[in-house]
Amino acid sequence: MDKSEIKTIVFKAIEMSNNAREEGEQIPVSDQTELYGSAGHLDSMGLVAFLIDIEESFLDQGIEISLSDERAMSQSQSPFRSVQTLIDYIDTIVREISP
Amino acid sequence: MTAKNILITGSSRGLGKALAENFIEQGYQVFGCSRSQGEISASGYHHTQLDIADSDQVSSYFFDLRKKIKQLDAVINNAGIASMNAFALTPEKTFQKIFGVNVQGTFLFCQKALALLKKAPHPRIVNMTTVAVPLQLEGESIYAASKSAVETLTHILAKEYGSFGITCNAVGPSPIETNLIKGVPKVKIEQLIKRQAIQKMATPQDVINLVEFFLRPESSMISGQVIYLGGISK
Repeated sequence: MDKSEIKTIVFKAIEMSNNAREEGEQIPVSDQTELYGSAGHLDSMGLVAFLIDIEESFLDQGIEISLSDERAMSQSQSPFRSVQTLIDYIDTIVREISP
Repeated sequence: MTAKNILITGSSRGLGKALAENFIEQGYQVFGCSRSQGEISASGYHHTQLDIADSDQVSSYFFDLRKKIKQLDAVINNAGIASMNAFALTPEKTFQKIFGVNVQGTFLFCQKALALLKKAPHPRIVNMTTVAVPLQLEGESIYAASKSAVETLTHILAKEYGSFGITCNAVGPSPIETNLIKGVPKVKIEQLIKRQAIQKMATPQDVINLVEFFLRPESSMISGQVIYLGGISK
């Protein structure tokens, strides 16, 4: 799986989150979007739901990834800061599973 | 109508087995697990042997479960171990074992089940605590401490998982004839029962009744509650 496919899954998860959000709270579907943190669009439970949606999409393709594990939490800079950092993080994990 | 899916830990004996049999009879698809082999043979029952305190085993269990079912309607964290011992004589290994199963097991199942629970229309988590917490029973310090942790998890999960429509409650059974209390002297049980407002042994049916109450769709406003049997309160 390459980065563009990962991006498609992440964008789809943003769209799913947007379906449950008010008009003024929509998350921009872009790799520059800040996700989590002071300028982020997601609170902690919003992030949990978002990550589960992404994990589920990977699972549908037979790929088991865990995004909210110790590894992610222990990084000095959160991989969930922005859509781009999240895509990079998922890419690292996926490469490790199937190099 | 599609059958509801319910997951029950520690379902090979005692209370867990009684809960599993009850929900099978009601037409649920019951996903049970325990360290030992399953003893229930029914078309609606699916048993897996695993150590609920082992993170890798639990992750792989949910990975497989997510391939089999699309949603989980309820998780009953029933598996638990107890050990009667004076605090000063309790080996560290006993402490680790009790906290491993009772706290870490509950933690892992609540966390890993989230993805499946949040897809159900009325998702429920029911945890198991004990009257040893409010009664602060001597000789049960580690067991009661582990269940205090479970109660706090229940209160806070009710808030955090509330945004997904998941309710999280706990049942605190008073003494029931199960393996869990088989090592407790009879006189101790009698003394304990005398401290209850309702002075009699409970039955698995009493627990089932309360669990069913938490599981009802009409109970969607009830979350973060710990209910003890026998008329005991904090």
